[in-house]
Amino acid sequence: MTTLEVPPGALPSRKLRLMISFLLGMAAVLCLLFAFLGMGPASFFVDFRFIADLAEQMLPPNMGLLWSKSIFFSLIDTLSMAFLGTIVGGALALFLAFFAAINTAPHRLVRLFTRTLLVANRSVPHLIVILVLLVAVGIGPFAGVLTLIFGSVGMYGKFFADAIEQSDKGTLESVESVGSTRLQTIRFAVLPQVMPSFAANLFYAFDYNLRAAIPLGVFGGGGIGFQLAFANGLLHYKDVLAYTIAIVVMINGMERISDWVRRSIITQPMVTK
Amino acid sequence: MGALSTAPFRQEFPFLEWKRGLTVQRWKHLAAAVLLAVLTVFASFRCNVDVASFFTGIGKGAALLQMFFPPEWSGVGGMMQPLAVTAVMALIATILGMCLSLPCALAASSNLAPPLLRLTMRSFIALERGLPEIVQMLLLIAIFGLGAIPGLVALSFSSIGMLAKLLADGIEEIEPQMLEAVEGTGATRSQVIRYAVIPQILPSLLANGLFRFEVNVRAGVILGAVGAGGIGYVMSSSMNAMEYPRACMATLLTLALVFASERISDFFRARIFSAGALR
Repeated sequence: MTTLEVPPGALPSRKLRLMISFLLGMAAVLCLLFAFLGMGPASFFVDFRFIADLAEQMLPPNMGLLWSKSIFFSLIDTLSMAFLGTIVGGALALFLAFFAAINTAPHRLVRLFTRTLLVANRSVPHLIVILVLLVAVGIGPFAGVLTLIFGSVGMYGKFFADAIEQSDKGTLESVESVGSTRLQTIRFAVLPQVMPSFAANLFYAFDYNLRAAIPLGVFGGGGIGFQLAFANGLLHYKDVLAYTIAIVVMINGMERISDWVRRSIITQPMVTK
Repeated sequence: MGALSTAPFRQEFPFLEWKRGLTVQRWKHLAAAVLLAVLTVFASFRCNVDVASFFTGIGKGAALLQMFFPPEWSGVGGMMQPLAVTAVMALIATILGMCLSLPCALAASSNLAPPLLRLTMRSFIALERGLPEIVQMLLLIAIFGLGAIPGLVALSFSSIGMLAKLLADGIEEIEPQMLEAVEGTGATRSQVIRYAVIPQILPSLLANGLFRFEVNVRAGVILGAVGAGGIGYVMSSSMNAMEYPRACMATLLTLALVFASERISDFFRARIFSAGALR
C-alpha cells in the first residue's frame, strides 16, 4: 500500500496561485488609482457630525409635500418627458433603422452614412446636449424632452437596425417574389417579425429615460429633478428627502408596471396578421 | 347544444375563425393606438412642446454651435487631468461595484439566503436602483463636501444596485439539482457557493461589469457638472462662462473618452463570450 505523496512545490496549486496574484494585482491597481485621485482611506471617514447634522436637518421628511399638487404635477411632468422621449425617439429610431439595415436600405452608401450617424449619436453624453438645448429652446421640460429623444435615437437606432438585419430572409424573399414593392416588403415581411422585440425594448427605453430625466431636470430640464435641485439649493433638506422618496417610489413603481405590461405583450399569442 | 353544433362548423371553415381573430386583433391595435395618441397629446401639453420654438431653436442652436468652432486646441494639456479623473472615478466605481455586488447578490437570492436577509437585501437593492446617481450625489455632497469622493461613492452605490440585481436574478435561476449535487458530496455552504454558484455567474458578472463601466463614464460626466470635478465640470463651467471654444474642446475629449470606453468594453465582452466557459 502506497501513500499518496504530494510533491513539495505543488500544494498551493497553480490555479490558486494565479488567482491570488490576480487579486493582489487588482488591489495594487486599485490603490494606485485611489492615489491618483489623492484619496486615502482616511478621506472616507468623515467627521460623524456631518452625517448627524444632515440626518437632523432631513428628518422627519416633509410628508405634507408628498400629498401636495406641486409634487404630483412635477412627477407627471417627469413621466411625460420620459414618455415623449421614448415614443418620439423610438419612432425616429425605427425610421432610421430601415436606412441603416443592409436588407432594407436603398443604397450601401445610405446605410454607411446612417450607421455612422447613429454611432456618433450614441457617444454624445446627455450633458452636452442639454447644455446646448437650454440655450436653443430655453429652460423647461421641452429641452429635456428633446435631449431624451436625441439619446433614444442613438441608443435604439443601431439596435433596431441589427434586429432588422437578423430577420428571416426567406419571408422577405417570398413576399418579394409575389411582386411587392420595397415598402410592402417592409410592411408585410419585416415589421411583423421585428415588432414584438421593438415594443419590448421600448419599455426598457422608458425605464432608462425615466432615470435619465432626473439629472436633466437638475440642469434645468423641468420635472421633479428641477424641484429637487431647487430645494437642495435652498438647503431645505426636509423637502429634499420628500422628493427623494417620491422619486424612488415612482421609479420602482414604473419599473414594475412596465415589466408587467411588457410580459403581457410578449406572452400574448400572436394571431396571424 | 350551441357548442356542440358549432364544433364541426369550425373544422370546416377555419378561415372564419381566423378572420374573427384578425378582427379582434385589429380592434386591439386600434385601442392601443388611440391610447398612445391620447397619452402623447397629454404629455406634449404637460411638457410645453412647442414646434415653433423648436424651429427657432434650430437657428439659435446653430448659432451657438458656430461659436464652438474652432475648438481651443491649446486647452488640451490642461484638460488631460480632469479627463483622467473622470475615467479613474468610473474605473474605481466599477471595480468596487463588482466586488461588493457579489456578496449582496448572494444575500439577495432566495435559494441561498434566509428569507429575512433576502427581503432586506432586495429592498436595499431596489432603493439603490430607484435612486438616480445625481440624487445620491446631492445628498453625499452635504456629507463629504465637493470633490471626487461623493461622485465615487454615488457611482459605486448605483453600480452595486444594478449588478447585484442582475446577479441575484441569475443565481435564483440556477437549477436546484446542481446545488444539491454539490451539497451531496458533503460540501459546506461556502464550498457550494464556490463550486456551484460562482462559476455560473462569473461570466455575467464580468460582462455586466464591463457594461457598467460604460454607464459609469457617462454618469461620471454628469456628476462632474454638479460637483464631482472632472471633465463634466470643465464642460459645464466653461459653458456657463460662455467660453465656447473651451467647452467645445472639453466636449470633443468627452466624446473620445465615451467612445473609447464603449470600444474597450465591447472588446472585452466579445472576448468573454468567445472564450466560452470562463474559469
